[in-house]
Amino acid sequence: MKQMIRRAMLSGMLSAMVCIPAFAGDQWTTPTKEELTMTSQPEVPGAPAVYLYREETQEDALNMWSVYIRLKVLTERGKEYADVKLESFKGSDGFEFQVSDIAGRTIQPDGTVVPFTGKPYEKLVEKSGEGKVMAKVFSLPAVQVGSILEYRYKLRFPDHWFSRPTWYPQRDLYVRKAHFMWKPTSHELVSNENGHEAISNGIAWAPILPPGPTVKATALPTGQSVYELNINDIKPMPEENDMPPVENFSYRVYFYYTSYHTADEYWKNEGKFWSKHVNSFIGPNSAVQDFTQKTIAGATSSEDKLKKIYAAVMGMENTVYTRERVHAEQKKEFKSTDDVVEAGRGNDDQLAMLFIAMARAAGFKAYAMQVANRERTVFLPAYLSFSQLSDVIAIVNVDGQERFFDPGRRYTPFGHLDWRHTFTQGIRQSDNGTSIAETNLELYKFSHTTRIADLQLAPDGKASGTITITYNGQPAINWRQTALRGDETSLHENLRKQMERHLPAGMDVKVSKVENLTDYETPLKVVYDVSGPIGKGTATRLILPADILFANAKPRFVSDKRETTVYFPYTEFTQDAVRLKMPTNFTIESAPASVNEMYEKRIAYSRKSKTTPNSVTVWRDMVRGDMLFETKEYPALRSFYTKVDTDDQDSIVVKAAAAAPATSTVTVTKQTTTTAAN
Amino acid sequence: MICRKRFPRLHLRARHVVAGSVFLLLASTSACMYAKTKVPDWVVQAAAESLPNYPPKTSAVILLNDEQFTVNAQGETIKHVRTVWKLLRPKARKDISEVAVGYRRTRDKLVSMRAWSIGPDGKQYSLEDKDMREADPEGGYELYSDYRIRYAMAPAVDVGSIVALEYEITSHPFVSDFIWYAQDNYPIRQQRLLLTLPEGSTYKSSWRGEAPVEARNLEHGKTVWEMSDVPAVDVEDVPMSPSPRTLMSRLDIHYTGLSPAFTTEGTWSGIGKWYEQLAENRNSSNDRIAEKARELTAGKTDFADRAQAIGEFVQQRIRYVAVEIGVGGFQPHAASEIFSHEYGDCKDKATLFSAMMKAAGMRSTWLMVDFSRGTIAPDSPSIAANHMIAAIELPEGYSSSRLHSIVTAKSGKRYLIFDPTSEKTPFGQLESELQGGYGLLMEGAASEIIQLPVLSPENNLVRRTASFHLDNAGVLSGTVMETRSGDIAKDWRYVYTYGTLKQQEAIRDSVLGRDLTSFQLTDVKVENAASLLKDLTVSYRIEADHFVQHAGNLLMVRPRVIGSTGYTLNHKKREIPIDLGESKLVQDEYEIELPAGYAVDELPAPVKVDMGFAEYESQSEVKDGKLHYKRTYTVRDVMLPASKYKDLQQLAGVIENDEQSMAILKKVN
Repeated sequence: MKQMIRRAMLSGMLSAMVCIPAFAGDQWTTPTKEELTMTSQPEVPGAPAVYLYREETQEDALNMWSVYIRLKVLTERGKEYADVKLESFKGSDGFEFQVSDIAGRTIQPDGTVVPFTGKPYEKLVEKSGEGKVMAKVFSLPAVQVGSILEYRYKLRFPDHWFSRPTWYPQRDLYVRKAHFMWKPTSHELVSNENGHEAISNGIAWAPILPPGPTVKATALPTGQSVYELNINDIKPMPEENDMPPVENFSYRVYFYYTSYHTADEYWKNEGKFWSKHVNSFIGPNSAVQDFTQKTIAGATSSEDKLKKIYAAVMGMENTVYTRERVHAEQKKEFKSTDDVVEAGRGNDDQLAMLFIAMARAAGFKAYAMQVANRERTVFLPAYLSFSQLSDVIAIVNVDGQERFFDPGRRYTPFGHLDWRHTFTQGIRQSDNGTSIAETNLELYKFSHTTRIADLQLAPDGKASGTITITYNGQPAINWRQTALRGDETSLHENLRKQMERHLPAGMDVKVSKVENLTDYETPLKVVYDVSGPIGKGTATRLILPADILFANAKPRFVSDKRETTVYFPYTEFTQDAVRLKMPTNFTIESAPASVNEMYEKRIAYSRKSKTTPNSVTVWRDMVRGDMLFETKEYPALRSFYTKVDTDDQDSIVVKAAAAAPATSTVTVTKQTTTTAAN
Repeated sequence: MICRKRFPRLHLRARHVVAGSVFLLLASTSACMYAKTKVPDWVVQAAAESLPNYPPKTSAVILLNDEQFTVNAQGETIKHVRTVWKLLRPKARKDISEVAVGYRRTRDKLVSMRAWSIGPDGKQYSLEDKDMREADPEGGYELYSDYRIRYAMAPAVDVGSIVALEYEITSHPFVSDFIWYAQDNYPIRQQRLLLTLPEGSTYKSSWRGEAPVEARNLEHGKTVWEMSDVPAVDVEDVPMSPSPRTLMSRLDIHYTGLSPAFTTEGTWSGIGKWYEQLAENRNSSNDRIAEKARELTAGKTDFADRAQAIGEFVQQRIRYVAVEIGVGGFQPHAASEIFSHEYGDCKDKATLFSAMMKAAGMRSTWLMVDFSRGTIAPDSPSIAANHMIAAIELPEGYSSSRLHSIVTAKSGKRYLIFDPTSEKTPFGQLESELQGGYGLLMEGAASEIIQLPVLSPENNLVRRTASFHLDNAGVLSGTVMETRSGDIAKDWRYVYTYGTLKQQEAIRDSVLGRDLTSFQLTDVKVENAASLLKDLTVSYRIEADHFVQHAGNLLMVRPRVIGSTGYTLNHKKREIPIDLGESKLVQDEYEIELPAGYAVDELPAPVKVDMGFAEYESQSEVKDGKLHYKRTYTVRDVMLPASKYKDLQQLAGVIENDEQSMAILKKVN
């Protein structure tokens, strides 16, 4: 949805203008022979279709946005692009845009033209008090593999409403050629974008484009400004596992009506409005002051005081994990942290601001910081929009040192951040106003998980015993938040399912104990009772997984190709200890060898085992101390993980003491085979 | 008829129409207003009901479901529904709080919709018209549809809350059938259906399966069905479950009193007659259609060749586009229109196919089916179905080795069952989802219910052969060829005709990644992906590192190198039937040239298990320095009763063990 800006009536009414169709005359393009006969686009092998041309033109003086598409169908799936759905909107605030002037045709590979002569079907998409979204839908006729689909339409806006476009040249299909044009209004506009009105007398843009193409700004002799982008040969955004959030990475151009000349100026000035707005909510006012004094009573140090405040906020209902109250339940909209205290609940940002308010009430210097949530986006300072910054965290000066806190993410330990708020940027308050700041990555030790399996093997290859998992840091936060969203039954169900995914198929898993579920400063402990087959038998042996917790593991990076950076959410440290006690009369023929693997001192893996006459214990450590790996590193990273994946599939071989002889053995030498026994 | 229609779910996620403010943290949560109206007595009474002990995983209960279905003298129907839910666990919070009513805009009128909730603290809330939203429930998936939902979010819905919904829909139906599902995915405490018919009108009813309750006739054309403590149909975490819709009790009511054109008489024959008049002349040919049919069949004399040429034209050339507007949900478009546009939905495709067959001197009619086996039940005449395919009348005495999906009607006529919508199922065969189910053969008054055949496993063939070399470093290299034929090749044909190269690679990687930790493929060759009657073959050269496991002086080699065919089952007591998916025959044959310096110490024991519904056999042997592995897996049935679950678990265990079994090589000297 484009950000709409209401035109100020400062410069009088617009002159009456005559709407002249931009494509008067022959509105279609004659296909070239190459376009008619092409069967693929070499850059995207097997692509279902390709945009031969995309054009988007916005002319504010005509209150019009027009789109022209030429698309070549290359495979069966590409035929789906013949079904077109164009949405229009009518808002209760008077804003609307309507779809009109739909025209289309299909060109067969032999050049035959089949015009679209039908009437688009109009249907409701959604209607509410905010407005009504309708859609005009139509299907281009006689579409085959090889057809060229061509259609165009206009969106019309009402007078006195102007939109700033965002151009997206990168689409789901390869784009051979695209043209974007914007003829903005020359009137001064009043923007209400950031909670305050501002007169916008200039246009700025933030391009995220490949090398080469640029936005061209020109002025017509009439004084009309024109912004254009011509761009060719754009591949679709890749889709891969473990990739960074793509929201800000696909090619695009953001435009703004603005009065600022630089990004620094924007963030500095808009930051002031943001800070004022935030402070008006934070306070602290009387209820928070009283609540704070009660909360910190008895605390002797700054650390103690802040911990008590943190605990008090953490103890409140965080509605992000339970449920938001609608107006009927909560008539009074929260206007300050006093309201949060009174209700005993709030959403993540409200609770974060309550923590800041209480810290201030206790005499700390405390600041709000609004950050980009790393799960969804990466902060781009050149993109002049607060919409990038969704979450509030706290900065408190404790005994002369500034520390980050994440009270809005329930169960985040004191002095730590949820991974979504680590290694990110945002705008923060300070004594001197506001500034762009960044947060650090948590160390791998923070997210430390230990998994201890203690199992007794039976002669039939079935094992039974317990597996105890101790979660610290982010994994503990994740499970605790999962628990908040459900109940004990659902938590146990989720825990069980996750363990079943690790263990050999057919094992029965029961959650027998969950400890410290709500005590976020202590490790979360989960104990499972497990039983079932873990070994594969031969006539005389049992072959058992070295680490039962990897019995079902699949390779992390199968593909040998990579287009994007490898991106893990957070660093972590996992330690396994698996002890298998053997049945009597069984001997251990082989246990896993010790291995140590290292990837550039950023990831470390080790495994060792110890054998006694009736047991094998295997220890496995995995430390991942980094979370971003460039595309060029992928071959080496994949190679490392392949070794780890292979090591994780090693076995323990156990032999029955009174075993029957093998049914057959074959001696193999190169090119010859001798049957030794039968 | 609604092609591939989803089962109506009335609880849908709300979508935001307009983006929120930039300062999200300070945005107001809702602008909705709720009146302070007291909830109706029927809600209070239902809420006061004591509850039996439900299993711990029960997340909500329907305290009351009261439906009144009335037909007036003008043939208009009035459906009045009252439902009360109680939330038992947070899991159902979202589902229960979203109250919604679905209707068809061109047929129905949503006269009223009210909803209430009672919070865990006893506070009462009422939703008004202004709180309601309307939407296309499919989110625009079905391009041409008049289906709508009206919905709202009930406030204060938490554990212990009560939510109630009351609505009334009037309708001018296209058919005099009313379908009532008497079960839900939540248990139902009290439930009632009250049927009211105008004077002189009668009805026939039938339950699918065993009747859970008898009807009670009241005075003045009223009939009531009342039930209490109806168990939930919960298939969550039930592996290989049939569609829950096929497990729920369903009552079909066929009433008289409407125009004969809308009446189905409560018989399969009656439904056939209704559809005959609805589709009358829609399969008429015209010159262009006839010319195309002639062109396609020119030079062909064999019946199967001629029918196949037309069948593949409609399969491949006519694009599937769903059309669900008004009577168009049942009535096909005219063949001439479909032919001209080159698109249509399932009933349109079956109609054009019929017209082209007629033009070529052959005959096909419609066959109403459902993708969920069990929806159409012989003992319960109903229009409950979601797909339309074709039944091709075979000439007397005609046979062809490639026609497998053949049924014989009571009339003695034989029909080849063919789905022109399934683009990748070979002519002569039938999608696995439809096999074993029932369909209504549309032959006017002679219409009848027929069971669709379960094709023999040989018609769904997967064959993998491979020859490998294993070196001392544990690197496995060799060539693999996988051949698929029949409907089981459908998914791969889609991948190799619809998918990008990257998607094709990703799928190969995913399949092989189940068995190999690191591998590279070269010389990948795919043949016959678009030629349905030819075997689809995928061949490649593979090099897999770390294929073996070293354990001391032992080397462990998995003879079953690739191809996982097992099942993921659980240990819970099985109470619902098992859907095996498809009959099939899987054959694997691999040979591995073993590295020098090792002697085979042990081989996996041979396996042979025959459960009746499926058979599994495998053998490993060493010959001429090569480890040979051969297995055959045959699945003969598509559905099993719950009582067979133990057999299936046993089979799954055998397969899992065999697939992971190792040959143990010992270093010599």
